[in-house]
Amino acid sequence: MHPMTRQKLLPYSFLLPALAITGVVIIYPVFQTLILSIQNYVLYAPDEARYIGLQNFQKLLKDEVFWISLSHSVIWVTSIVVLQLLLGLGSALLLNQSFWWRGVARALVIVPWALPSVIIGLIWTWIYDYNVGVLNDLLLRAHLIDQPVAWLSHPQTSFAAIMLTLVWQGFPFFAVMILAGLQTVPQELYEAARIDGATAFRQFWHVTLPSIAGIMATAVLLRIIWVANSLDIILVMTGGGPGYATYTLPLYAFLRAYSEMEFGYAAALALVMTLLLLGIVFLYVRRQAKELA
Amino acid sequence: MRAYQKTALRFLLIELPVLVILVFALAPFVWMLLTSVKPNADLSIFPVRYWPSEFTADHFKMLWQRTSFFHNWLNSLLIATGAVIVGLSVSIPAAYAFSRFKFAGRNMFLTGFLVINMFPVVLLIIPLFVLMRHLGLIDTFIGVIIGHSTFSIPFSIWMLVSYFNAIPQDLDEAAVIDGASRLQTIRLVVLPLIMPGVVTTAIYVFITSWNEYLYAMMLSGDKVRPVTVALQLFIGEFTVQWGLLTAGGALIALPVTLLFLVIQKRLVGGLTAGAVKS
Amino acid sequence: MTMKRRTFLKLAGSAAAATGLACPAIAQGTTTVRWWYHYDNPQSTPQALIEKFEAANKGIKIQAEAIPWGGGTDYVNRVFSSVVAGNQPDCAMVRLSYLSRFQQMKALEPLDSYLSGWANKADISDDVWKINRAPDGKAYYMPLHYVVIYLYYRQDLFQQAGLQAPKTHADFLKAAQALTKDGVFGYGMRGGAGGFDNWGAFVLGAGATFEKGGMLTNQALEANRWYIELATKHKVVPPSAPTDAFRQIVDGFKAGRSAMIIHHIGSSAEVVAALGDKVSAVPVPRAANGGGWTYFGDESNAVFAGSKNKEAAFQWISFLSSGENNAEQAKLSGQLPVTISGSKNWTQHPQRFVDASSASLPIARSLPDHVKTPDFTARILPTNIQRALAGEIAPDDVMKAIDQLYHG
Repeated sequence: MHPMTRQKLLPYSFLLPALAITGVVIIYPVFQTLILSIQNYVLYAPDEARYIGLQNFQKLLKDEVFWISLSHSVIWVTSIVVLQLLLGLGSALLLNQSFWWRGVARALVIVPWALPSVIIGLIWTWIYDYNVGVLNDLLLRAHLIDQPVAWLSHPQTSFAAIMLTLVWQGFPFFAVMILAGLQTVPQELYEAARIDGATAFRQFWHVTLPSIAGIMATAVLLRIIWVANSLDIILVMTGGGPGYATYTLPLYAFLRAYSEMEFGYAAALALVMTLLLLGIVFLYVRRQAKELA
Repeated sequence: MRAYQKTALRFLLIELPVLVILVFALAPFVWMLLTSVKPNADLSIFPVRYWPSEFTADHFKMLWQRTSFFHNWLNSLLIATGAVIVGLSVSIPAAYAFSRFKFAGRNMFLTGFLVINMFPVVLLIIPLFVLMRHLGLIDTFIGVIIGHSTFSIPFSIWMLVSYFNAIPQDLDEAAVIDGASRLQTIRLVVLPLIMPGVVTTAIYVFITSWNEYLYAMMLSGDKVRPVTVALQLFIGEFTVQWGLLTAGGALIALPVTLLFLVIQKRLVGGLTAGAVKS
Repeated sequence: MTMKRRTFLKLAGSAAAATGLACPAIAQGTTTVRWWYHYDNPQSTPQALIEKFEAANKGIKIQAEAIPWGGGTDYVNRVFSSVVAGNQPDCAMVRLSYLSRFQQMKALEPLDSYLSGWANKADISDDVWKINRAPDGKAYYMPLHYVVIYLYYRQDLFQQAGLQAPKTHADFLKAAQALTKDGVFGYGMRGGAGGFDNWGAFVLGAGATFEKGGMLTNQALEANRWYIELATKHKVVPPSAPTDAFRQIVDGFKAGRSAMIIHHIGSSAEVVAALGDKVSAVPVPRAANGGGWTYFGDESNAVFAGSKNKEAAFQWISFLSSGENNAEQAKLSGQLPVTISGSKNWTQHPQRFVDASSASLPIARSLPDHVKTPDFTARILPTNIQRALAGEIAPDDVMKAIDQLYHG
């Protein structure tokens, strides 16, 4: 083979294994789902499925529950990711200091993230429980409330209660990612800043933050996608209730797919969500591209 | 400043806040541990009984003797390890290519890996199930591991690209000029430098695979059933086996925590190794 | 996927035609029957039953697999996707509420020809056979075990208040009001997942039906308003009622936070463990005109049309529904045996709960055999009841939504 051609093909050969696997296990199902979204496919009546063009999407625009779920999803993703990031960043900075039990602290902080969502959902449901929950018990003992509160049963508190659970579950992810990022900041930069007489805050602002900005941005992006898609904890804790109070887009798509078995409509819902996420990714990639150029 | 003042200040500014964060992170977990050693009679009462009226190992014993939990636990270990190996071995070369080469379609492929991660998995699962059935991979380790690579590969590539990007390109170019091959450069120069990143990514993939439920539920049968699915068997239609469930939860969290306790030194180790070389 | 299903159906057809000829072969070679099941208690294993069956039926091996129930969705997903993919087991536990969907997929094998030659058919009552019959007149389900929803009540609290166990809806409200005090609520309403069995006792019991317009009669609307007002007006239910599912109502009852809950014999063991003799059960109260409704919670086995071992699969599921095997099976599932012989001398549950179950049978009904029913129980009813309880919509909107679902 001509050396130039070989040189050109080299990066593709590096990509090949990853492309091959994802091609089979993701692209094919995604492609199938795309086709479903333009059909009135119902799982229990596959013989009646036929092409219906964009009718699923037209129906969706008039669907009140779609709009409720969408607005919840926006609040859901923004608040959870921001809170996880702040808490994770704080934890990472603290865990990057030296103190004698740092190793143990670093290992323990990961615990919430090390539990399966099913358990997390059940344990937190139990903590919030009206009748036998620990939260009500503690607050009553501390005289902060004089009546137990049904945290998961009021539209006003249930969404926040579930969000707190998600923040708890996910902040260790940011802590670990950022902690790893902090290890790549060259020490010379800090020394130089110290010689210039920079305060701790200025060091953080001018040295630490710029150095970990790239990793933080990637972590935020991946987390947005993950949180936007996550539904198992909501499903366990409230199943979307009370009413539509904890409906998010993937949860709604899930319910349409698995309780009504309307895979066509559910695929359309999923597709809309993917397109919205694509918007965020596009902004990020443009930024990345600028940085590389 | 005197030594004790320094110690006091460090306690106030660092150790105390760390303690607060740990209490938040661990309280629900400790609650779960306490539940796992409580007799059943202590569970549904109000006001809540925090300290067990007596400590019992019954739930753990029952897990061991009457359910296949430990077998499932080993299955999980195998699946999660497999997911890490498959995920990293295809993602490291790919991420290196994205970080170091300019080639046609680079941005398209990189974005593509992100986009495929954005589709809600609940809708992909049935087509994937049909596909796996045709490949004869239902209820095999390789089937579940490949299922898990749907999230592990895109994620690993993206994380690793940012870690690769953080390493100056001059380093590996210098090595290539010195006569090292591409693979040697990756293995001897670049990989040691991004070790913290590789370890972090590996942890992520391990944990996600360890905790994954939906793919595991659909793609595994009795033979390769992992622990999350086994755990779901404790949540029946009319009863929740709290004792078994919390005991199982404790055993699930254990290896990940231990793993991280061992591995967190590597996060720092990678740095010092890099610093010495430069 | 359409093509795939057609070929799969064709295969299934030829396999069905072949079974007649293949019968003698079963005795010689080894046939493996795959069976999917779910028990509430992970410690229950059908191993002993399988050994007994295999000893009596040489040449048939049973490969039993526990599938997680997962609130119903996991089990059902697993079964339906395996039918779509064509690798369904030979037989599995199934519920009546999914019969219509199975039928539409032509996924099940009619059992009539097998049943006509089955010796133990008369040991299951005609009522049960009738409930399990499909709209096309065929029998696809082999009844396995069942539960009936009834009313648990705290007889000690009732005695202290000088009350009798409620017989009518009006009695029920009076009792709930009298017992709501000192941090105890009269009625632990189930508004969350599975809440249709609580709602049905009062609304279907008072005459609402699933026929077109049956939810919108004055009588039906009135009954539903009355049910919602238990929470909004009379405040005899805990504030957590909108999202409470079985776990929460049973926990609240055990902790002494509610005086009545509506559930079935499946929770009797843990309730008695916590409350002992303080708790008893009666059928759910009836409407003023004597009408009543309570949920018949069914479980059956079915043979899949795609199975290549239908004969052997039928032998296994009929084994499970025969006399003492059925009683053994019911012990594993914690529910009631479906056979007449197995119900006699049933000592697995305290007698008062078995009595309350059998006293409930005259008004026990299943939900309509309709493709929309799973959606009614899982989404439409709980979501709308919760919104009505929170005051977001009027009670009558709940009934409109149900009518819309079935007849819209």
